[in-house]
Amino acid sequence: MALTMFLVMAALLLLGFPMMIPLIAAATVGVVELFGDIDKAEFMVQQMLGGIRPASLIAVPMFMLAADIMTRGHSADRLIDMVMVFVRHIKGGLAVSAVTACALFGAVSGSTQATVVAVGGPLRPRMLKGGYKDSFILALIVNSSDIAFLIPPSIGMIIYGVVSKSSIPELFIAGIGPGLLIMLLFSIYSMIYATIHKVPTEKAATWWERFVAVRRALWPLGFPVIIIGGIFGGIFSPTEAAAVSVLYALFLEVLIFRSITIRDFYSIAKSTGMITGVVFILVGAGAAFAWVLSFAQIPQELLGAIGFTEMGPTAVLFVISLTFFIGCMFVDPIVVILILVPIFAPAVQSTGLDPILVGTLIVLQAAIGSATPPFGCDLFTAVAVFKRPYIEVIKGTPPFVFILLSVSVLLIFFPQLALFLRDVAFDK
Amino acid sequence: MNQTDTKNNSRSLIVRILNGVDSKIAKLEEFIMASGVILMALNTIANVISRFVFNHSIIFAEELNSTFILLVTFAGMGYAARHGRHIRMSAFYDYMPDKARKRLMTLIVAVTAIFMLVLAYYSVQYVYNVYSKGRIMPALGIPVYLTYLWVPVGFFITGIQYALTTVKNISEEGIHLSTDLKEQAPPEIEV
Repeated sequence: MALTMFLVMAALLLLGFPMMIPLIAAATVGVVELFGDIDKAEFMVQQMLGGIRPASLIAVPMFMLAADIMTRGHSADRLIDMVMVFVRHIKGGLAVSAVTACALFGAVSGSTQATVVAVGGPLRPRMLKGGYKDSFILALIVNSSDIAFLIPPSIGMIIYGVVSKSSIPELFIAGIGPGLLIMLLFSIYSMIYATIHKVPTEKAATWWERFVAVRRALWPLGFPVIIIGGIFGGIFSPTEAAAVSVLYALFLEVLIFRSITIRDFYSIAKSTGMITGVVFILVGAGAAFAWVLSFAQIPQELLGAIGFTEMGPTAVLFVISLTFFIGCMFVDPIVVILILVPIFAPAVQSTGLDPILVGTLIVLQAAIGSATPPFGCDLFTAVAVFKRPYIEVIKGTPPFVFILLSVSVLLIFFPQLALFLRDVAFDK
Repeated sequence: MNQTDTKNNSRSLIVRILNGVDSKIAKLEEFIMASGVILMALNTIANVISRFVFNHSIIFAEELNSTFILLVTFAGMGYAARHGRHIRMSAFYDYMPDKARKRLMTLIVAVTAIFMLVLAYYSVQYVYNVYSKGRIMPALGIPVYLTYLWVPVGFFITGIQYALTTVKNISEEGIHLSTDLKEQAPPEIEV
């Protein structure tokens, strides 16, 4: 039965069906085989609605809405300007600015695609003028945007948290360490690249320019304060922090910067609503799929067959990483998390591994996979946003993917990279 | 000749009526999507304020949010179907020759339509079950089935959208991803 379900799913997925259908079809096959009766499809509907309803998932549309407002307004530009005046004069300064700006924008939004647009849009032309090759720029932007997936708020973390029933605030804080490490390594690579390719260095900003840029960025810097400070100060739940950042984004862009109008807000809410529909129907279909799997005890069977629980923690982490990495090379990371987490979750529990560590590793793989050729979905975002041929977008990616994979290995051997901050913040 | 004319006329009248209904539905979906998202934000913020100012949370805030997210999801699903915006993995599809792509797309939208309509049917059954059990939301005090009413409608509208796309693919030239999106150069993604 497991085999039929996976074959149906894989076939429909590869043929290019809308992604909810492979999940729903596989679940239907499962239901028919389990109960011998399609009428039990009613339970599927029940599971779908149950998957969509959890209150903590509301954080996803809220963070998307806040990011949407900021991307159309001035917040992103001001943050980028602030980063640039401080680092543009070092070797590879523009590239380092792009990496840092991605991490910073990741701290105000939870989506990699919003980051590609918000940071890549304004910085790519400047880097082209600054003497960087386009293939390097595109790879840099696509991969650095993945840092946004790790730095809180993170949509991937929220969905993992809900599916695996682990603490979203703890996941959020665990993502910071690996996120900053990637930022550092990408910056170093950028400096080496600039040295080798003799990219000219930019003129340093004056202290007055720096002062002005920081003052202009003060308002947008309120986002990380609200989100990170609010959640870890115990003031807000992640969902509340998300709603408050929507309010704050509106306050900034409508009242302070006057970059969008209330009418724009309605159309932004509309587009967030549509993306929410697209993502949440997948969440629902994923829940139905996971329910059938666990009802038929497929995860135990599957993982038992490869001796998963007797492998020891390091091997388990490697297997999980590899599975998610490969999965995300082909399919949207949210779908992969929805399908694979329920398979691994029971086994992870029995190995005694920290679900927060596993979650951080999984979200890291999701980030890497979605920027890895051939089918990583961020690559296609870049193709669409920058209107560049696919081949040029992927040409510069190998060094970045190599760095990201090294970080995964480091994280497996030194879990403290992720867990140190968590332990400090939550007194563990 | 004459016969085809009248046929065309009566057909175009039906098409006009259908188009009218369709654009009303589209407007309704847009309204539910946008206002649902805004209401979620307002509701969550109101809850925060209430907790700080009046020192206790709004007890029905979570139930309201659950209701809104169902509305937004099922309205957004139909809207995305209308505009061909559901996520799919088109890497292999994109490399196929035109003729094969058209056949495959016709199959994709037809199968999707069937699944959506079947789910619409079973969700009616589910909603009816919830209704007959008389479950009530503990904090809001309203029957649970009311919050589910939009679900079968959403599945049904989505199913119809895909069914219409199937018809369009069979009866017209070109490859149609949805009723209003024809495949040309690589479709642009708005983020």
